[in-house]
Amino acid sequence: MTAQKSLKDLLTGLIFIGFGLAFGYAALSYETGTALRMGPGYFPLILAGIIIVLGVATLLQSASGPDKTPIGRAPWLALALILGGLAFFGLTVRGLGLAPALFVSTFLSAFASERTGVGGALVMAAGLVLISMLIFVWALGLPLRIFGPWLPL
Amino acid sequence: MKRILATLASVAALGLSAFPAGAQNYPERAISIVVPFSAGGPTDTVTRLIAEPMAKSLGAEIVVQNVTGAGGTVAAGQVAKAEPDGYTILMHHIGMSTAPTLYKNLPYKPLEDFAAIGLVTEVPMTIIGRKDLAPATLQELIDYVKTNKDKVTYANAGIGAASHLCGMLFMEAVGTQVTTVPYKGTGPALTDLVGGQVDFMCDQTTNTTGQIKSGQVKAYAVTTGERLASLPDLPTTKEGGLDMQVSVWHALYAPAGTPEDVVKKLSTALQSALKDQKVIDRFAELGTTPVAQDRATPAAHTEMLASQIKLWKPIIEAAGVAAQ
Amino acid sequence: MDLIANLGVGFEIALTPVNILYCFVGVLLGTLVGVLPGIGPTGTVAILLPITFTFEPVTALIMLAGIYYGAQYGGSTSAILINLPGESSSAITAIDGHQMARQGRAGPALATAALGSFFAGSVATLLLAIAAPPLARVALKFGSAEYFSLIVLGLIASVALAHGSIIKALGMIVLGLLLGTVGQDLYSGQPRFTFGFFELYSGINFVSVAVGVFGVAEILRNLEDEKTRTLLVKKVENLWLTKDDFRRSVNPVLRGTALGSLLGVLPGGGHVLAAFASYSLEKKISRNEAEFGRGAIEGVAAPESANNAAAQTSFIPLLTLGIPAHPVMALMIGAFIIHGITPGPNVMTDEPALFWGLIVSMWIGNLLLVLLNLPLIGLWVKLLTIPYRVLFPAIIAFACIGTYSIGLNAFDIYAIAVLGLIGYVLVKLDCEPAPLLLGFVLGPLLEEHLRRAMIISRGDPMTFLERPISAGLLAFAALAIVLSLLPAIRKRREEVFSEED
Repeated sequence: MTAQKSLKDLLTGLIFIGFGLAFGYAALSYETGTALRMGPGYFPLILAGIIIVLGVATLLQSASGPDKTPIGRAPWLALALILGGLAFFGLTVRGLGLAPALFVSTFLSAFASERTGVGGALVMAAGLVLISMLIFVWALGLPLRIFGPWLPL
Repeated sequence: MKRILATLASVAALGLSAFPAGAQNYPERAISIVVPFSAGGPTDTVTRLIAEPMAKSLGAEIVVQNVTGAGGTVAAGQVAKAEPDGYTILMHHIGMSTAPTLYKNLPYKPLEDFAAIGLVTEVPMTIIGRKDLAPATLQELIDYVKTNKDKVTYANAGIGAASHLCGMLFMEAVGTQVTTVPYKGTGPALTDLVGGQVDFMCDQTTNTTGQIKSGQVKAYAVTTGERLASLPDLPTTKEGGLDMQVSVWHALYAPAGTPEDVVKKLSTALQSALKDQKVIDRFAELGTTPVAQDRATPAAHTEMLASQIKLWKPIIEAAGVAAQ
Repeated sequence: MDLIANLGVGFEIALTPVNILYCFVGVLLGTLVGVLPGIGPTGTVAILLPITFTFEPVTALIMLAGIYYGAQYGGSTSAILINLPGESSSAITAIDGHQMARQGRAGPALATAALGSFFAGSVATLLLAIAAPPLARVALKFGSAEYFSLIVLGLIASVALAHGSIIKALGMIVLGLLLGTVGQDLYSGQPRFTFGFFELYSGINFVSVAVGVFGVAEILRNLEDEKTRTLLVKKVENLWLTKDDFRRSVNPVLRGTALGSLLGVLPGGGHVLAAFASYSLEKKISRNEAEFGRGAIEGVAAPESANNAAAQTSFIPLLTLGIPAHPVMALMIGAFIIHGITPGPNVMTDEPALFWGLIVSMWIGNLLLVLLNLPLIGLWVKLLTIPYRVLFPAIIAFACIGTYSIGLNAFDIYAIAVLGLIGYVLVKLDCEPAPLLLGFVLGPLLEEHLRRAMIISRGDPMTFLERPISAGLLAFAALAIVLSLLPAIRKRREEVFSEED
């Protein structure tokens, strides 16, 4: 690969093609039917085809010149912490209840900032849990359990 | 991921069962009734109507939660796995009995994973057509459907919906299959019927009474044994010469393993709610009545559920529908 | 005149202290849940429904309606301030609104949104009072063939949303369409792309997609260069509209109101299309097209007027036909029933006080909203001075609770994480999230109506051309393609000629 190519377009093209292949492959196992009586696989298969074509077009477009701005670095740690925090919330909100699940996931998210230390993140998590309880449970009356069945309370 | 969750949950359940909560003190905190359909729908309305008097007689707050998805099976699956302590219970409708046939990999068994609390109500259904549809009576409609079977379209509110089940029964009773047009819910289906895009459908009185009374749709029959007080001019299917009866029943369930006296307390609260004058009045406006006290019991409803599952299996299989 | 007498009845009902109070409570709550990411009007109305049982029916409905259109106001606030649209219709506002906020012009953006919404709401309410029944009859003429053609037109026009590569924008639309197919197929019951999880049978939640590709992706991008860039937002310049802002907003507001009022009447997607369509229209006819996507005030004024107009006129099918156009209205039908009123066309004649009281209250509600929101602008803009490292964990916390509260489905939270990652990678590669969201919203409708139209027509594709409204819409779509290709062709010819020189 030469520096004359657009890395962004190249990657976008590959991602589009990847999605097209993945959806298309999965859609193959569904009945396609005919154009007149479409099965569940028909529409996704057509879309998969279109996105692959668009992916190829983006690949071709990448030859037209280098990127004007570089892709830049990715905040890997922040990414892992934030996505991990979301996953943790989803996994535990039923079992642990709203307050503990939210505390851990906001702590992880807050810690994702390079400017926030462990102490700061703890304070922020505690504050946010408190505010959330006030807004969602007390003021809006959401039917969510604050402490879940996994906790011996 | 699912397995980890299940393991964690069962470990937690074991830990809890070491300290059995005294059923004498039940209920000590708010009880959640999980409704498997979105808020505002017929099932939700029925739930909210009985929740208030039930809460009063139990002396605890009742919270209605709408857990939607996959024809009500997501909610039922959640309640089946909930702690059997009487604080999470399920309101479900006729779909409880059709899901085992409609969904091949159902993550729960209606009869084994639930303890029935009791039947709540049976909502009648009405057969209605677009207002310029030629036939004037049910008998004419049947003839019309038979002679125009390649032209007639039947609308329903999606797989497993009451309107879908009623349609299957109708076509079986008439002996003719017509083109079925599925919609995402009753609202859009009714819109297209009122707009004349489809020919006829069959849905709960909860959804259709307003449209019938205002003459926006043509009503052919009600699917119960007797005429309705709210629509006294509408003949029954039997009067119209059609051998089919169906109503959408709603019932309450607790997870299997819930202490018997807790189920009994809930059942008693349900029975007293069904005697509440406000509930009776509102149900009447929906074209339904609370069921008799002896049917709002765990034993009676368990029996009913078993027979309903048996009833629907061949009908759904014959129609060749499976949502997997 | 009947109308005056009817409106008189309406004012009498709507202006009682109790009703004004609950109207205010409704719009205040609506604004609040609209601003909070994740939780929306549907969840709020569902929770508050039982509380309204003890109210007079008209009071209950006034409050519930207030929550619905109040949330439209609030949704634009979070779209502008933190680039997180609360409802599908405010996704468009985020494009230019958030750019304005970054340039220190959050005040004018919020003011335009509030004033445009108020104007649009007033006009649409008047339309509701004058022409509800005939408009409802027109809406009924829309069958699946018409909806399909309308969505095709919407998708083609939406290419205007892109301010970068058109191919990438198209790719994002198609990716959105594909994501929209996840879940159980309506026609066969076949679960698609669900990996065997029952929780995915009802598809991916819109809120998860919006929070993921807008919210999380935006947060990750901001965390990239925390050390080098300290201030997220340039210094706030002014809170109010300049003369120039005002002049530039007037026509977009008028056009947005007209488009929104009309599209809002269509049950099933009309209110979503309204914002997208008006934005595309403004971009096409604007003299400063290049500014769109970089903070053009027209890009806030038009879609905000359109979505608020549509929010009002989407009550037309509910009030005249008893047909809900939005989940909130399905809940309101529940409220009708619980209060012993049979929803349907009879409401207008059987319950004139309720019907006209509700309509008049909508205008009062819009007035309350503008009175509530204009002073709040200063407060909202101050929100931007909160250090980002404090703000973003709060966004994540609120988004988690809000999203989870909709269906108590943990998969909606996982979807945020997955879509956040996909969104972040694609945004980093210069793809835009708005077309993806549009595809995601319209995709399932496109497939549903296409297949239904084919079933009803017995497999005859000519149905799209034989039905006049559908044919007209498709002709518009064809025209839009030709118009968008013309400049490109002309440009190429010019290039060819210049090379020959």
